[in-house]
Amino acid sequence: MGTVRMGEIEVSKRTGEELVARGLGSCIGLALIDRSSGVAGMAHIVLPESGGHAPSSEPGKFADTGVPALIAQMQQAGAVPRRLDAVMAGGARMFALGEMDIGARNAEAVKAGLTRAGLRLRAADTGGNRGRTLRLTVGEFEVTVKEAGGEPVTLLDAGQGSAFKRQVARA
Amino acid sequence: MTPRYTELQLDALRELANIASGNAATSLAQMLGREVELNVPRVLALPLADAVEACGSPEDSTTSVVIPLEGDVTGVVLLLIEPQGAEALCALLGVDAWDEIGESALREIGNILGTSCLNALASMTGLHLEPRPPHLTTDMLGAIVSSLALTTTASAELVLVLDSELTVADEPCSISFVLLPTEGGVSDLLAPLGLAEAA
Repeated sequence: MGTVRMGEIEVSKRTGEELVARGLGSCIGLALIDRSSGVAGMAHIVLPESGGHAPSSEPGKFADTGVPALIAQMQQAGAVPRRLDAVMAGGARMFALGEMDIGARNAEAVKAGLTRAGLRLRAADTGGNRGRTLRLTVGEFEVTVKEAGGEPVTLLDAGQGSAFKRQVARA
Repeated sequence: MTPRYTELQLDALRELANIASGNAATSLAQMLGREVELNVPRVLALPLADAVEACGSPEDSTTSVVIPLEGDVTGVVLLLIEPQGAEALCALLGVDAWDEIGESALREIGNILGTSCLNALASMTGLHLEPRPPHLTTDMLGAIVSSLALTTTASAELVLVLDSELTVADEPCSISFVLLPTEGGVSDLLAPLGLAEAA
């Protein structure tokens, strides 16, 4: 437990447990937190759209199915959707290959999903060309992001929650 | 639809990978003036997350040289080197790994290994294969491999990984030599061998 692999969704209310999406490149790590009920969740989203036929076993793989699926699983665990704070990281363009910037499309699609669900994006660290790891501690509800070779940066702190938003400029 | 590969097809791909990485190992040995050992390649057809993890721990810092392929087959050739191994490689060439000269030396190694691999594939299959200029980055392994794998598969359902380990004798240096063909690229590689039909 703890590691949220590509395409997976994890939900927890066990204080002290960590949810971690490691080595995010063009993928997005999305963390949702309901402080009142103590429920947190994370999705490791790979692609923006399911094209209408997402295998039901992997709703977390796509932004359009992953955002509602994460919210629904958290609701089952006792979270209240309107109280959810959202934090996301990833969506890099690791290599200037091909026409498609999957990372940017992923970030846009996750944002759109959050807007559709009426959720606030409290903090985000997206874009650029570096890999990232997104980490959330259940109970304290601190969310940090770490770039390759860097130190962890707090996106949302354990108290009121600092609002840190950064869209890294393309190199 | 998820492409599936037969045992025969996977064997053929393993043999292609074996000869291609063998050629790359010979070039590396000539370049460095050292013996280079080569293991038997792995051929893995895996879901995306498993394919990425098969290459190593996602958060590990890894130096990568990426050679995009164009021509009859598209995909990427990927060299994964531990940062310590990249330093050892550069030291053998008499340069420092982490400045411009070191970076250009690592790109050149990528160029030479990529080209010798492609030459081997081209002569076995009769296909026209062309390497594009290499990209170099040191970053998290998972971020590198997942982002590249996503450029090879539209559905991200099944990723084909052909990889072998090139180890430089007497140095703390081994290079994972990975070939990631696009979905269409796999059948293009198999077609000249008469094995294009999926089971």
